[in-house]
Parts: sequence; C-alpha cells; structure tokens
Amino acid sequence: MSDSTLLQDAVSRVFLDFYRNDRLNKARQEGWCTELWKALEQTGMTLVSVPESLGGSGGSVVEAAEILRLSGKYCAAVPLAETALLAGWALAAQGIALPQGPLAFGIVQGRDQLRVDRNDGAWEISGYVDPVPYARHASAVVLVARIGAGSKVICAPASTYRVHPHANLAGEARDRIVFDEDALDDWRVSDAESSVTVEQALQRGALARAVQMSGALERILEMTTEYARHRAQFGRPIIKFQAVQQELARLAGEAAIAKASAMAAAASVQANDRAEMAVAFAKIRAGEAAQAGASIAHQLHGAIGVTDEYLLHHSTLRLWAWRSEYGSEAVWADKLGRHALDRGSAKLWAEITGSVRDPR
Amino acid sequence: MLFTSTDFSALDLPEHLSQVRHEVREFLHEERRQGSFRVHLGHGEFDAEFSRKVGSRGWIGVTWPKKYGGREASYLERFVITEELLAAAAPISAHWIADRQTGPSFLRFGTEAQRQKYLPAIAKGECYFAIGMSEPNSGSDLASVRTRADKVSGGWKLSGQKVWSSWAHKAHAMFVLCRTSPLAENKHEGLSQLIVDLPSPGVTIRPINFLNNEHHFNEVFFDEAFVPDEMVLGEIGQGWRQVTSELALERSGPERYMNTLPLFFALIDRLKTSPDRMARVTVGTLLARFASVRVMSLAIASEFSRETSPNLATEAALVKDIGTHFEREVTEAVKMLLDVTPGVDADDELERLVGEATIFAPISTIRGGTTQILRGIVAKRLEGGV
Repeated sequence: MSDSTLLQDAVSRVFLDFYRNDRLNKARQEGWCTELWKALEQTGMTLVSVPESLGGSGGSVVEAAEILRLSGKYCAAVPLAETALLAGWALAAQGIALPQGPLAFGIVQGRDQLRVDRNDGAWEISGYVDPVPYARHASAVVLVARIGAGSKVICAPASTYRVHPHANLAGEARDRIVFDEDALDDWRVSDAESSVTVEQALQRGALARAVQMSGALERILEMTTEYARHRAQFGRPIIKFQAVQQELARLAGEAAIAKASAMAAAASVQANDRAEMAVAFAKIRAGEAAQAGASIAHQLHGAIGVTDEYLLHHSTLRLWAWRSEYGSEAVWADKLGRHALDRGSAKLWAEITGSVRDPR
Repeated sequence: MLFTSTDFSALDLPEHLSQVRHEVREFLHEERRQGSFRVHLGHGEFDAEFSRKVGSRGWIGVTWPKKYGGREASYLERFVITEELLAAAAPISAHWIADRQTGPSFLRFGTEAQRQKYLPAIAKGECYFAIGMSEPNSGSDLASVRTRADKVSGGWKLSGQKVWSSWAHKAHAMFVLCRTSPLAENKHEGLSQLIVDLPSPGVTIRPINFLNNEHHFNEVFFDEAFVPDEMVLGEIGQGWRQVTSELALERSGPERYMNTLPLFFALIDRLKTSPDRMARVTVGTLLARFASVRVMSLAIASEFSRETSPNLATEAALVKDIGTHFEREVTEAVKMLLDVTPGVDADDELERLVGEATIFAPISTIRGGTTQILRGIVAKRLEGGV
C-alpha cells in the first residue's frame, strides 16, 4: 500500500464517523459540524500545507488537496480549505503565525465595501464582506483586499465583526460579516506580499472547490453504482439494463476527469508552474462534471434520491453549490478564453505543453 | 475506484522531453514551410515519403528495444512525439498502425524471426501494416468472427472476409484474426492471429470508398490462402487475449482527442480579431475540456512508463469516450461562433477543415471500440464493485 493510500484511509476514517444522515442534517442546520472539526484538529489535518514554523502541520498543497478531496467525498461541513489552504496560506506568506481554532477567509471584491483607516495609531475597519464561509464559527477571519494601489491582508478576531448568517444550497455557512469602525491592532493589517493577491486567493479557492467536487463525484458514483446493483425492477437489478449502464459509465467518466484535472491542478499550484491555467481547467471541468454527474446520479436513483432521509442530496447539493463558488465555469472560461485568444494558437500550444513556463 | 493509485503530481514531463518536443516541432515547421504536406484532419494522409522521414529521425517505435530499431525511450516520449505530429495534422497514416499496434504485438507475442523481419523496417518508416479484425457480420462483437484457418501441412489455409481494413491496398502485411478451432461455448477461445504478407496468392483486396468517395477502407477476401506456420503470431488459440492486451494504450492515446485540434487552433486564430463573451467562454470551456482529457491520457502513458501493464483498461475506455466527443464539440463550436460554410475544397483553410471534421465525425466514436461498447466496459467494471 502506498503512503498516499495509507493517508487516505486514515483521513477517511475520521470523516466516515460523521458521514451519517442525522449528523449531516444537524450540520446543515448549524452551518457546520463542531464535533468533526474537533476530531480533525486532534489529528493535525486542519493545518496541512501551512509551514510548521508558523503553527501549521507542514506538508504540500497536494497533500492538503488529498484531504480536501476526501472532505468533499464525505460532505464534511468544516472550514478545512479556509483554514489551511486560504487563511493559512495568506498569513504564512506575511510571516504571521496562525491563530488557534477554525479560520474563515474572505476575498474583498465586487460588491463588497470595506474601509481600513489609520486612526490614533491603530487601524479602524468598516464595511462588509460577503460571502465569508464559516465566519460565524471561526476564531478569526482573514481577508485579502485590494486597497488603494496595493493589497492588504487583514486578520480580524471574531470579536471585531458581526455576522449575518447565510448558507449555500447545502446549508454550509456562507456568512456576511460587518465591521462598524472596529479597532484592529497594528499587526492585524499588513501590506500583502507580492504572492498574496485577490487573484491568487481566488485561484486557491477555486482549486479547493474543484478538489472537493471531485471527491463528491467519487461518492455519488459509489452510491449510484451500489444502488443500481441492488435495486431490482422488472425482475433484475437495474444495473443489468444497458440504458442504465451507459449513464453509469458517463458518471464514472465525469468523476474520473474531475479527479484528474483537480489533482493535476493541485500539483501545478504546489510547483507554482502554470497554476492559473491548471486551476481554470480544473474548476471549469469539475464544474461541468458536477452538473452532469449530479443529474445522472439523481436520474438513476429515481425518486428515492430526492428524499431527505437518503444521503445522496448532501453530495449533490454541495456539487451545485461548489460549482459557483470562487468563480463559475463561465467566469473561469471567460478568463481562460481571453488568455487563449490573446496568445494565439501557437503560443497557447507551447504553453499547454510546457515549452513555455511561468516566470518563477 | 478510478485512477486509484495514479499520482497526478508526477505529470510534469521530464526536462529532456522538451528537447524532443522542440525537435519534432522544428521538423514539422520546416516541412510545412517547404510545402511537403497540407493539413488534413483524421490521422492525415498516407505519405510513405513523410513516414520515412519520421522514421529516419527515430520517431517510430521509440519505446522498442534498440536491437529492433527502437530507442528504448519511454511511453512519455512517444506521447510527446505523437502529440506534436497530431497537433500539426501531419500525414502519418502510412506507419500509424504498425507503430501503435503491430510493433507492440510483435514484441509481446512474436517470434525472434518475425521481429527481425518486420520491426526494423517498421521503425525506419518503410513497412506498413493493416488490420484484419472486423467482418461484415462482426463489428463490436469481435469474437464472433467467422474467417477460418484450417491446419494443413506446414501451415494454415485461410478463408473468409474482413472489412474496414484501412490502407490494406498499400500495406506490406496484415494481422488477421481468425478462428482456428470451431466455435465452442466460450467464443473467446479458439481464435488466433495470422500474419499475411501483402499481396499474397488467394488474397483479394477491394476498395470500400468512404462517404466522401476517398479510398482508405478495404474489404479483404481470403480464398484458401496459405499461411506458413512461422507466420502465426503468438499462440494458436490465444488470439483473443492477444488482441485485447494492448487496448489500454490504444484507447487512451492523444489520437483519441486531438483529431480536430488543428481546427480548434484555426478557430482561435480566426476569433482573435473580435472575441465577444460567447466566443471567449466557448474557447475557454473547450480548452479546459481538452486539457483535462489530456491529463487523463498523460496519466495513463505515465503509468505505462513506470509499470509494464498497469490495469487501466477502464480509464482508457473513458479517455476514448470523452476524447472523441470533445473532438465533435470543437466542430460544433466553430459552426456556432463563425459564419462558415463547410467545404471539402474550400479555398479558406478553416472552411475546409470544418468540412473534413464534419465528414470524419462519425468514425472516431466507432473505430477502436464504439461509445456504447466502451461504456459497457466501464459499467461491467463498476458492476463488479467500485
């Protein structure tokens, strides 16, 4: 058994304890699963990819992605991506040690309104950011904001903002946070290092959701296959019908391609090699797979799959939600298309095949 | 589960392959500049002179042992070379089957004499093969073939009919899948592969013109054609196992999703002047689909570089299914985004390529395993447990 398989088994065991309808329904009511977070914290899994010197558990983005993939597979409503891959990444780049506890992460953009001013030797922060996943459960929220000519990284403790609770389709906390001229200590607002930008943050967020979607697709493939093997109609298991087989195979294809593109993107981010492109590929393709896959899974489950008592919807609701978080397929395809057309086919081909690399 | 132990972080191609890629690209650039070939979709044209040039560069049989004319390079190197040739729509039909299918079969199952006779010539780009598998009543259900070989002194007497044998009229030899013992309960038993040199007495080749009236398909008739014992490939009775043994590589290669890539390139270069949002989103989406299926294909080639025979038949079937449909999506996107009239003899290259892509579209989802058969293979694997 390879190291990665051993890791996967160990991680899966933690998630599986909480992969039950009663617990998932409770998490949906509360916006997250406290007990699961505590169990994960004990294993150190919540801080993978953050350097040990800054309070993390070390490890690569690929290892973090492997954990995230399984968290997606088992519908884990916890801020894993937010704490390590996003907040942990931004703080580590600033040389700031990670605060204890679950962290939320927000990207200040679009309709958000945030003002950060110097006042009496301290920072004063006002405005709102939306969405900030898991803000209501976090010990602190980390924000990346374009302010003036540069970007800033803000680390605001939970005591400094009010939370307006909102949720995505699957009931995961996607809150709005509001600051009312709150004061922040000096170190909590810093000029962002060049590697920390709104674009980079979006890229990491998109990677996280692509990886989680690939996990959820793997799960709905398992569920749908099991179901088709045991559900008998017209005197035989429905998996014996070619019409069912053909759709099941399509679902398998969507799951496989989502996994391949998402894990390849994780490797690109880790290597800092054509990461923007690889993440765009993964977010677009995993999003398409989410749509096609969820639709097949429901169709093959028949009416059974749309009931609350059956587990399928916990996965499909997430697929539909994650598909539009950190940029839908259309958003990423627009960016990618613009890039491709700017480059022209010859340069684009050279770039895809690796004969032209990102400046490091 | 699919791709269970595949390491996708290992897909960054080794540095020395960039060198190989550049050499192939430079070669193709120079050939095009000299006008030695014109872009044609669907594996390009049969051009023996071009194949000899490719062979002389060492780009055929690259993974084979040196003593048979190969270079003992990795599957990833073959992947890179193939990718460049297909991106340029170079005319590689002449040596294609011999390079991809025949050579590996000889290496796995052939005798030393057979390898010596054929492999170095194939690697030089001088010896071409055709395939005799399908029959008029046997397409997807390949094990139902009825072409028969009866034992005679010193060899076999071959009788029957094959169809869809691409370029058999120009090939030097062909593999023929036939029944060497009567159909029993297990139809996968009793099949064998014979090597038939072309032309041979008792072998008649007739054209089956493609729907655009071009001739690359043939039907091949065997009328008690004598095949000596030394032209049996592998073991008598093991034909089924032999023909299915390399399917993972055959079904997952770049040729399963790159046939319309030159058209996609042409679309990108045409749109450059006035891209609206619909154009950008469409191009971006197609690019993501291409890159993702390429990752799957590359992952399989990479596993073959590490292990002799990884069990990736299901994943390979998926690459072909998804890849061949991607090819069609490119053609449709061109028709949605540009006001073009597909034409086989259009002066405008893009219109000509749309025409070719339209005409060739039905083939890719049939040859090498139809979509429906591929999905059946995947479903069968799932049925046994994920």
